[in-house]
Amino acid sequence: MKSMSILKSLPGVFRAGLAALLLGLVGQAHAYINGWEGTGAGTAADPRTFELTAKHDFISTSDGGSHYTWGYSFGTDLPMQYPGPTLIVRQGDTVKIVLNNTLPVPVSIIFPGLQGVTATGGNPGQLTREARAVPLSEGAVVAGPTYTFIADKPGTYLYHSGTTPDLQVEMGLVGALIVRPNGYAMGTTDSHADRKAYEQPGTHYDRENLFLLSEMDPAIHWEAYWQVFSGQPTIAVDTSSIKPSMWFINGRNAPDTMLDDHVDWLPTQPYNALPRMHPGERLLMRVVNAGRDLHPFHHHGNHATPIARDARVLESAPGVGPDVTSPDFTVRSVPGQTMDLIFEWTGKGIGWDVYGTNAINPHTCNGSASPSNVFDPVTKEWCGDHNKPIPVIIPGALDLSFGESYSGSPYLGLTGALPQGHPGLNTTGGYFHMWHSHNEKEITTDDIFPGGMMTMLIVEPWSVVLFEDQP
Amino acid sequence: MIAKTFRKALLPLAVAAALGATSSAGAAVFVQCGPGNSGVDATGKILPAYDADTLPTGVACKHLSAGDGFISMADGRTLYTFGFADVTAKPAADVMLNSLAANFAAPTIKLKQNQDFYLTLTNVAMTMRPDLFDPHTVHFHGYPQAAPVFDGMPEGSFGVNMGSSVTYYYKLNDPGTYMYHCHQEATEHMQMGMLGNLYVMPEQDANSALLNLGMSRPAPNNVPFKGFVYNDGDGSTAYDVAYPLQLTAMDPVFHDASLSINPLPFKNMKDTYAMINGRGYPDTVNTAPLPPPAKKVDYLLPAVAASSQPINALVTATKGQRILLRLSNLSVTEYFTITAQGLPMKVVGAGARQLRGPDGKDLYYETTSVTLGGGESAEVLIDTSQVEAGTYFLYSTNLKYLSNNDQDNGGMMTEVVIN
Repeated sequence: MKSMSILKSLPGVFRAGLAALLLGLVGQAHAYINGWEGTGAGTAADPRTFELTAKHDFISTSDGGSHYTWGYSFGTDLPMQYPGPTLIVRQGDTVKIVLNNTLPVPVSIIFPGLQGVTATGGNPGQLTREARAVPLSEGAVVAGPTYTFIADKPGTYLYHSGTTPDLQVEMGLVGALIVRPNGYAMGTTDSHADRKAYEQPGTHYDRENLFLLSEMDPAIHWEAYWQVFSGQPTIAVDTSSIKPSMWFINGRNAPDTMLDDHVDWLPTQPYNALPRMHPGERLLMRVVNAGRDLHPFHHHGNHATPIARDARVLESAPGVGPDVTSPDFTVRSVPGQTMDLIFEWTGKGIGWDVYGTNAINPHTCNGSASPSNVFDPVTKEWCGDHNKPIPVIIPGALDLSFGESYSGSPYLGLTGALPQGHPGLNTTGGYFHMWHSHNEKEITTDDIFPGGMMTMLIVEPWSVVLFEDQP
Repeated sequence: MIAKTFRKALLPLAVAAALGATSSAGAAVFVQCGPGNSGVDATGKILPAYDADTLPTGVACKHLSAGDGFISMADGRTLYTFGFADVTAKPAADVMLNSLAANFAAPTIKLKQNQDFYLTLTNVAMTMRPDLFDPHTVHFHGYPQAAPVFDGMPEGSFGVNMGSSVTYYYKLNDPGTYMYHCHQEATEHMQMGMLGNLYVMPEQDANSALLNLGMSRPAPNNVPFKGFVYNDGDGSTAYDVAYPLQLTAMDPVFHDASLSINPLPFKNMKDTYAMINGRGYPDTVNTAPLPPPAKKVDYLLPAVAASSQPINALVTATKGQRILLRLSNLSVTEYFTITAQGLPMKVVGAGARQLRGPDGKDLYYETTSVTLGGGESAEVLIDTSQVEAGTYFLYSTNLKYLSNNDQDNGGMMTEVVIN
């Protein structure tokens, strides 16, 4: 693929991120899931087209390790990535995915949850048509099958290799697919009423994040590495003994999950997992389990309401929107399943003013210095607790060990004194809430705590401008 | 004998060292309860009228210590643990002397909606591990609209140092079954046992009209209901007897590595003691506090070595009563599925929310099994009016957890006795 056409197919945010990287800058969190929109109009005559190439490379883990991995790359020139490129299409699009291979094993792609996928070209395989194995000595990019489908139902999907998936998904051949609904529009910074996960009412959101959960057993990767590079005629890794010891969100372990997208020292792990939002905004969580174990994904801060499972809205009748759902504080993420949830946070009703009293931080709520039972239209402060102090004395710095993401102040948007040696990672007074697997063994990376399947949500005060959302 | 005397002599030294190290930094036990600290007496004791266990209206307070201790497994093995103990009734000056007092499960925290809950946590240091300087926290797991300062997630706030106290404040707006645990170095401190039941009862418990719906039942159960799980508006979550049952599990290798100051096996963590409320079967049905392990008595005077496991998991009811099970899972490794040998289970809540859709549709469901991952909770009602009196077993259908390490016929199991 020509580099220009690659660049054209990038969403604006990615282009901006790339530009920022070229300038040596670090971009910011966004309202937009990083991914690829392909080329073409999405019609039968001009399908929305993606070219993916299966490659091998290494990923870096938070314990300092690096591990041999197989993955899909976008086009033919970029490195493989873990997880594979996030594909973003529109409801009704005819989607064409062209698969190439460079790996010494046959590979393929299947799209669970999508009907009517046709595969042409390549060789017949067990679950779908495959690209043939390419011996290392051949060193070529070999064309494989083309998969075509109509993305008739919106939602969150995953895709992965359909060739010995017990090994190849473990090795990294997995990614997410997002189908935007009819009527979807990114909107502008100030107006995004049509920013919706589904056609139904009740599925609109302000910001969205992907949480693709997975795990790996390093022993499998070393075995595959040895077999490939010692020139074994066939690659046969025993997967019956897989025992994961590394856990990932979007292909990274904590704390790498909190770095920016596309940091240049993680060239094969481009996606972060750092949700940031303002009070009162609706955050769409797209939770994809791309591994082999269930994970209880616990989101500190507040409950979240599931709106869809496996790209089907949790509704009692077609079109009414999510009405057979109840909020929870932990997402049960089942292998192969996707869940979409809406998370909101305002701090309503906790009994004290999250912005501090008027003495600490002079401010009004809905134009008044006194409490009232409304939200402030701008800051989304719950005025019922306006000007109420925290009812306890917070001990001094000698009594406490401050976490790296504490601002020194208990109040949203304020900072305070921190002891010498504190890294001062929270400069905006944002509220950091851990989002993580509550099977807490999984917040380690190969025997090292902390790590694994963990990241942070940052609730930022409205005074902090989050990278805005223009498509 | 020499070794034992030496250990006994070392113990106060270790405590004094911990105190000394921190007192030079000006730390102190500091209990806070209510506006103007009106719920605390001059000695730092929480006044009985404010003790959360007495279910006061308005301000409710509790004081927990966090440190280490020993517990007994159902097969007789002793495990070294980290944990909480209830020091609500102790003068502040005595709290730091509360060595090796860790309970498992942690003291149950029972609250009422609309209370102002003040929870003081004092870090009493690790008696057996004077090399550790670990802070501790309480994470009120599931508390809605949380702010980091009281969330106990130390990366975004702080942990409390040895010899010091912190008081968390929670306005209790939302009834339901939550849980609590230490979030400091969470994988380690949770595997080590800093886990407990926590639930909030609804304001509807004061609604006598709905409570009296129970009086229309046939004798001898023609009495008011005891309470409700949620503010359901219709009495559909009414119960007569309620039991919090927390599912947990421990890896003895991890605990032994901790006590012997060895690297901790995170990667190879494998829980082989599966428990309910801090005990494996048959200890789950022993209504008495378990005697403290010999090792604990050995280090402390017998007179001060209290039980480390006062909570049991026996469920008893009279035929016709509605049983509420407040189930939660704080295992750090496993999903568990629980069944009650065919007793009809109706799930009315999960994640501290009534199972009711946004437009009021009931989403209750009947089942004979409930699955929970770490950090998940559910409320289950069992209507015993149509079941025979007798003893039923409530157990994990993950049958590999029906053992106490290598002792079979134990583990994650208890009894439901219907008289």
